[in-house]
Amino acid sequence: MKPRTSAGRLTSRSLVLHENVAAYLFLLPFLIFFVGFVLYPMFMCVYTSFFDATMGREDIFIAFANYKELFNDEVFWIALKNTLVIVLVSVPVTCAFSLWVASVISKMPIAATSVFRCIFYLPVVTGSVAVTMVWKWMFNNYYGIFNYLGQNMGLIDKPINWLGDTRYALGCIILILLTTSVGQPIVLYVSALDNVDKSLVEAAEVDGATPFQAFWKVKWPQMMPTTLYILVITTINSFQCFALIQLLTSGGPKNSTMTIMYYIYYNAFKLYRYGYGNAMGVILAIIIAILSAVQFRLGREK
Amino acid sequence: MKKILAIALALCMIFAQAVVVAPTAEAADGVTISLWTYPIGKWTDEATVKGFIEEFNAVHPEINVVVEYLDYTNGDDKVNTAIEGGNAPDIIMEGPERLIANWGAKGLMLDLADMVPEGTYEGVVSSCTNAEGAVYELPVCMTAHCMAINYEAFEAADALQYIFFFNHTATTENFFKAVQAVYDAGSPYVGTVYCGGQGGDQGTRALVTNLYGGTYANPEHTEYTYASEENAKALAALCAQDGITFDPSIVASDEIQNFVNGTFQMAFCWNATQEVNNADALTFDVFPMAFPAEDGVPSLQGGIWGYGIFDNKDEARAEAAKTFIKFLVDDDAEYAKVVEATNFQPVRDVEGVYEGNELMAEYALMNPMMGDYYQITKGWTQARTEWWNMLQRVGDSDGSAETILAELQTAQDAANAAAAAE
Repeated sequence: MKPRTSAGRLTSRSLVLHENVAAYLFLLPFLIFFVGFVLYPMFMCVYTSFFDATMGREDIFIAFANYKELFNDEVFWIALKNTLVIVLVSVPVTCAFSLWVASVISKMPIAATSVFRCIFYLPVVTGSVAVTMVWKWMFNNYYGIFNYLGQNMGLIDKPINWLGDTRYALGCIILILLTTSVGQPIVLYVSALDNVDKSLVEAAEVDGATPFQAFWKVKWPQMMPTTLYILVITTINSFQCFALIQLLTSGGPKNSTMTIMYYIYYNAFKLYRYGYGNAMGVILAIIIAILSAVQFRLGREK
Repeated sequence: MKKILAIALALCMIFAQAVVVAPTAEAADGVTISLWTYPIGKWTDEATVKGFIEEFNAVHPEINVVVEYLDYTNGDDKVNTAIEGGNAPDIIMEGPERLIANWGAKGLMLDLADMVPEGTYEGVVSSCTNAEGAVYELPVCMTAHCMAINYEAFEAADALQYIFFFNHTATTENFFKAVQAVYDAGSPYVGTVYCGGQGGDQGTRALVTNLYGGTYANPEHTEYTYASEENAKALAALCAQDGITFDPSIVASDEIQNFVNGTFQMAFCWNATQEVNNADALTFDVFPMAFPAEDGVPSLQGGIWGYGIFDNKDEARAEAAKTFIKFLVDDDAEYAKVVEATNFQPVRDVEGVYEGNELMAEYALMNPMMGDYYQITKGWTQARTEWWNMLQRVGDSDGSAETILAELQTAQDAANAAAAAE
């Protein structure tokens, strides 16, 4: 007769093994997709960026030639500048506006909070094509509502070609991006504000803290993880702004709304320059990774 | 027991995915082929296409035809993704710029030279033939892209006096007089040089090259030639003309919409299909016109559409695809129906097409004015992009011929560099 302890150890080992097998089997479907649709394309993106790759012929190894060309490509720099403008404007504005709206609606009765949350979240769940088409109509040069209101209110003398004028086009894109970006941060901030430890806020108020001090010293640090998440997500979304450009301006007028994502698409899927498009994708990924790392670092320090 | 259930559940999830990625099984006793079609008349109307397939299946029940409908916004991406993934369709319905200059040039299409029906117009066949003599597109229909004016607006402005009614065109001088008259009569947007993207760019190309006899590419289709004094003069004249604007916020489909709803008094992207498709929305008479030329003899940009077969290295599918196409184009009666479904003109003389249809007879007047089919010049995709980007810059420039010529030269150099690289 085997000792009970030995038999018990064997049983628990086998249990652990079974549990591990089950756990890995549950993970397997996701892992298959993750490897097939994330890791493999990422690897191929980097790999192809060293080739002159196009449709219908073997790829030609050209080492860093795509990257060299990239740094001499005027449109790429314009696209990078436009992308950075979009990120630098939309990320802080989205965060600040969402926080302000969230702090206002979180003080309202529960029913009102829910209604406002739904209203602000609507553009997120509405199809981006539908939203963009509505905006396109509002910005229309000939019968758009902005020109109609502007002229009737005496703000403008003649119709402005909002999407066809280099002075306004990028601003219009950023405005649309903002309206579709604030929904999720608002919902997240409302939850974060609800989760703030009320006893700490009350203690600060008892100690004579002003509302601003109570927010800045007590609430804000507790909302930092949410803010960090919002910053990273909004930054990535802004960098990847594509549908708006594709549907509204095709990067024009005169490349004034050209973004890196659209330029990648144009090179890869219009000109079939897969290698060149991938080289741009690698650069974009590096920029996003660096910015995300900085944001995480700053967030952790805070 | 719970563990066994858990493992079984996990395995089910994996097998479910395996089913998703497993290729579709072929029909048990025959061949399944795919037909992908761009919106050419009613060729993206399910009932119409299904009708043709049912007729075909009555004769060839062993061939199953699966249809995918494309659009001009995402269609190319869809096809290219399929090609890259090794799932190219068997048959595709489109024009030579894609079938010959693009996929054909990349060696992806089958040569259909032996399938061209007798009597197909020589000019059409040559437009579907590459430099090596391979026919990658079996032509089905054609049209001469033209422009159109709002007849009533022109009549009200007393501008019809500048139009040649017998051949539906005008001289360059009279064209500008007509635009001025309509503008003076109170229409701020007579016509617009749309340049927001490549959609329908044949209209702006035809307008510019016809006004003072410019060209777009050389007759050999080896290089682009649009940086010329003639084209610069045409663009300068358009910039200076009251009532003509350059608009980078719209493409041809927007222009057509603005013409149909009466905002614009003329459309530079027009053909018979546009009039048929917009018949319900039009509240005025449309007068189709050939683009104005100095001598009154325009050279119109043609459109040819037909079938191409991708070389999928599968004999059975290729043969089935050829059988399907032959069924549609060889028999005159069937071919007449196929052409009528496109709303365009036939590419060979055939009885019974558009019989008694006055509208199509009116548009058929444009066919003899069809010019060189330069869309098969190498570097075409880049050349198109350069063109509408150039128009954006010209529209935002001082409008002088020198500046415009420099912009044309920049665009042409980039297009020719792309042509040389292919």
